[in-house]
Amino acid sequence: MLTQVLLNGLFASSLYCLVALGLTLILGVMDIADFAQGATYMLGAFVAFLAVTQLGLDFHWALLLAILAAVVLGVANNQLIYQPVMRRSANTLIAALGVLLIVQNVALMIFGSEFQTYSAPFGREVVEIGSGVIPLYKVSVIAISMAAVPLVWVFLSKTATGKAIRAMSQNKEGAAIVGIGSREVSLVTFALGSALVGLAGALASPVYAFDAFFGADAIVKAFTIVIVGGMGSIAGVLVGVAIIGFGENLVSGYISTEYSTLVTFVLLIAVLFLRPQGIFGKRHA
Amino acid sequence: MSAARIPVADRASVTQAAEPPLAPTAGMSRYIRLGAAVLALLAVVVGPLFVQSTLIQHFLVLIGINVILVLSLDLVVGMLGLSALGHAGFMGIGAYTSALLVMNQGFSFLGGLVAGTALATFFGVLIGYPSLRLGGHFFVVVTFIVGIVFNLLFTNLVEITKGPMGLPGIPAPEIAGHVFHDKLSYYYLVLAFILLVLFVKWRIHGSRMGRALTAIREEEDLARAVGIRSHRYKVAAFALSTAGAGLAGALYAHYLRFIGPASFDFLHSFDLFVMNLLGGKGTLLGPIIGPVLLTTIDQASQLFRPEPARIVFGVCLILIIIYMPQGIIGLVRALIGRRRP
Repeated sequence: MLTQVLLNGLFASSLYCLVALGLTLILGVMDIADFAQGATYMLGAFVAFLAVTQLGLDFHWALLLAILAAVVLGVANNQLIYQPVMRRSANTLIAALGVLLIVQNVALMIFGSEFQTYSAPFGREVVEIGSGVIPLYKVSVIAISMAAVPLVWVFLSKTATGKAIRAMSQNKEGAAIVGIGSREVSLVTFALGSALVGLAGALASPVYAFDAFFGADAIVKAFTIVIVGGMGSIAGVLVGVAIIGFGENLVSGYISTEYSTLVTFVLLIAVLFLRPQGIFGKRHA
Repeated sequence: MSAARIPVADRASVTQAAEPPLAPTAGMSRYIRLGAAVLALLAVVVGPLFVQSTLIQHFLVLIGINVILVLSLDLVVGMLGLSALGHAGFMGIGAYTSALLVMNQGFSFLGGLVAGTALATFFGVLIGYPSLRLGGHFFVVVTFIVGIVFNLLFTNLVEITKGPMGLPGIPAPEIAGHVFHDKLSYYYLVLAFILLVLFVKWRIHGSRMGRALTAIREEEDLARAVGIRSHRYKVAAFALSTAGAGLAGALYAHYLRFIGPASFDFLHSFDLFVMNLLGGKGTLLGPIIGPVLLTTIDQASQLFRPEPARIVFGVCLILIIIYMPQGIIGLVRALIGRRRP
């Protein structure tokens, strides 16, 4: 029982982790709480779904297309909407909500309100680990996420662009003084963040039935993780993922699924009371 | 919080300070405003008597409930200068609490309404207390999450809320022997509560709390330096705001006589927020104009397909914050201000 619960927790966590990482990058660098990433997640799911069912592509090509679509949406958002909004120092949050409404409803008009499903790669193959059973597909999702997180970390800590991103998230003015161009950095950040979110959406699509509002739940969980872990911190994301992802599955495994959302809520409030800046966060303001 | 007595002239200057500098104020305009207010009150009291269509009466009640919600939300958006995206969730708390207490525990309508309002306020304090201490995007993200979590609870706690099937058979309100069955009498009930909320807001505006909130919004560090306990005032304002949402929720539940989780989802929170911005945040009239306009458009668009309407809605939202950050009220003020030197 415990093994099974932990395996489920690991799968849920690996998806949350990708989304939370994308959100925290954008939040840290751009200072935008990008709710529109809910649309990116949904887009990733639909693109992967269409690539497999309509174009008959292999799933890994579908993933690539989904990532590409997510990057295009995220970067277009940044260039066409967030940048002009920020130049007038208006509220980016509201712009994000506007984008979310537009993309969701365009999807609703195209695909209708029924839930979409298709079969995951590897079919019914399963892996037995101890007393637990997990589909091979979920194992590969966990593997992809486990590979993606260190890759992002290496990118941020070793490459010049990554260092520029981190510099900007720590101190915007300082970064500008030493000649880091905020426009280029914002472009890369949005591309990377959206790619992670789109990938998560595509990976989730064969497992859950989805519709135009698919991203909402993932974004809520991911934002909770970001807050619990501490805004703009990768270590925080990992700890937050562990707490929320496993906490939820432990409760739904041992107590009841009905109460698993309560866990999110109680944990969020508890962390806010005990350590308002998040577990790894730094106090600002 | 005792509302400090201040001279009328003083109160007027406070009002000016709280509003954007565009506000045209002349000595005479106070009487014009007073006259306009009396006329408007007459219109909303007498006008509906001549409305025969029950459909329009129904719209009027829904608009009224949205006006209460947005007036309450504006305590956070306008007076604190923060964004809040969970008010539909607090509305749901008020709705479910009142409906369940009246149906199962034999509460009277007013008892349920007060209990619903109180529980929403309690959650407002519980959430506002820790989250208002943090800067940046913390607060808005927390309100968003909380709104969604409330909705998940309405959906998932099937034994209490009957889940996605919703809660039918909520009795119509009864006050002192009068049952508010028809839409017209319900309209007057809602109107009475709108006036109550307006009165409370007006009192806050001229009180020590109103001035403290203005100071906090404009320059929090400075406000704290002169001894204003900013955190307390912020929590109080947020709690009052969620109280209003709970009240509106109770009114909504006993009006439709049926509630389900879908009525309190995050899209409704967005709608309320947009209504507030469109009308004009931080003003007395803006939170009334916004819901009147958008509820009308929204109800009209339901006669056709809702998706295109929502897409237009999203586009408008982006255009509004870029070109019209002060909303309709701000636009009107700018136009009037331009005419006068």
